[in-house]
Amino acid sequence: MNSIQGSVWLFGDNLNTDVIHPPNCYSLDPVVVKQGLFSKLDATLQSRLKPGDILVGGKNFGCGSSRETSIRSLLLNEIGAIVAVDFARIFFRNATNNGLPCLQFANAEDKQKLAEGETWTISFDDWTLTGKTGLTIPLVPAGSFVRKIWSEGGLLNLLPASAEDA
Amino acid sequence: MRETLSDKVIRSHALNGTGQEDYVHARIDALLGHDATIALLINEFERRQLSIWDKSKVIFTNDHFSPAASIERADISANFLRFSRNQKIDHLLVDKGICHQLLVENSLCQPGSLIVGADSHTIMGGGLGACATGMGSTDILFALATGTTWLRKPKTIRVIFHGSLPETCSGRDIILELLRLLGEDGAQYRCLEFHDHAQPKLSQDDRFAIANMAVEIGAKFGVFVPDEITLAYCHARDQQTPGNLVLPDADADYEYTLELDLSELSPRIAKPWSPANVVALSELDSIPISTAFLGSCSSGRIEDIQEAAEELEGKTIHPDVRLIIIPASINIFKQALDKGYVKILTEAGAIFNQSSCGPCGGIDKGVLGSTDVCISTSNRNFRGRMGHWDSRTYLASARTVARAALKGCISGDLYS
Repeated sequence: MNSIQGSVWLFGDNLNTDVIHPPNCYSLDPVVVKQGLFSKLDATLQSRLKPGDILVGGKNFGCGSSRETSIRSLLLNEIGAIVAVDFARIFFRNATNNGLPCLQFANAEDKQKLAEGETWTISFDDWTLTGKTGLTIPLVPAGSFVRKIWSEGGLLNLLPASAEDA
Repeated sequence: MRETLSDKVIRSHALNGTGQEDYVHARIDALLGHDATIALLINEFERRQLSIWDKSKVIFTNDHFSPAASIERADISANFLRFSRNQKIDHLLVDKGICHQLLVENSLCQPGSLIVGADSHTIMGGGLGACATGMGSTDILFALATGTTWLRKPKTIRVIFHGSLPETCSGRDIILELLRLLGEDGAQYRCLEFHDHAQPKLSQDDRFAIANMAVEIGAKFGVFVPDEITLAYCHARDQQTPGNLVLPDADADYEYTLELDLSELSPRIAKPWSPANVVALSELDSIPISTAFLGSCSSGRIEDIQEAAEELEGKTIHPDVRLIIIPASINIFKQALDKGYVKILTEAGAIFNQSSCGPCGGIDKGVLGSTDVCISTSNRNFRGRMGHWDSRTYLASARTVARAALKGCISGDLYS
């Protein structure tokens, strides 16, 4: 995973998990979970998302519930990554544990340089976001522990082979 | 060492190094889970043929679908109970109430303990001086199998309560005021460490309400420094007093200190659609309501039900309002029965539902339709959470909810 390219979708501050994935869409059925993404915010949004698309948020992205159905839905819709000013802690853990990259702008005001629908590329080599015009925006490099979880393919692959090893 | 309370708890639970690293691998003292989030990990847990690290330290309950209202949820609930019984969970509490209330009713929740739970409001254990925090199902699966978790050591904001809480206010008004002051991310990744210097001290129920909603400010832990109120509660619950209390150092290293004079407080209300969209109730014009909800892990305790009974005894709620009351646990329901509150409130027109999450998360009886306006003691009024996208929820204390149910509206003169 050296880079991700996709269209960006812009959201504001404090985008909570009840808006990302409404609680009435809680289910174990992957179709229901997939289609629930942003279903109350904009009933047409989920069907317009493409694999690799990048969600862009403001402050406190993902605040609220710990229900991982929101992460499952983002993964089922093949969202490539989320870039935000910062993240709510439970959401950040859930996404990271399941291999969905959450990256922060190095400078919060850089969010204003992105327009909805533009294609941007995240580089995991130099921790940047680059647009079609060549404009490059710095991101905060992920920490070593987060990178380790990504490289292992998720937290569960860090489980010891047996309970005795724990 | 200049350590805060959470610094000490994390250091004493760290398995590697000094506890000073960015991420600490720590052992946990207890794990909490419920039907809706444990259901998300059962297949993976069984596929990997894992076993639970210590069945005596696990509390599970079916609080989201208790009882189930749809066929899919009945199946999810049945599978959750099958898993829990197969695993021989020591504290499988079926239809006994909301998991966070059941945690603080359980002797596993001790001051100074480190607890993780598969729900964001696990943080409520902080009302007893525990470092308790919510996580998603993947983290909880890891913790269930290993008895450990990964933690980043948070910075701590010290919050000191002074003065005397007015009779019209409760812990709900205090936490709503903190949300007004700090916003939805004011304590993001941080520990809120509460020091109760009020006269008289806050009740344990008020502390639970405050700790519960610390997560609405983004906090990882919302922990009260344990004191005689904590000890009295634990002694009544456990028939013994906790051992060595974990207390912060007098010169602990805080990010900053926030002092709140409770004498200055008046009833607070959070307007749609954020728990931090808080104003003084007295600032509001009249807003007709269709629904009043007294329940959830944030409230629904005996003092909340008592406040409502005080307000509504011998009266009848407004004919346009449905007042739904859900005691946070069966134990609380039994207390409310014994004290006569259920009779008083039922005669006033309230309906009691089974101790569970109810309509708080928009999943059970009491959800809101498109034109509904609700005043609620729950913890989140995010858009669409309690039902229809166009429904509107205001958050307030149990006393304010009862007064609004009586008058048929939220208004600035509810207390005049």
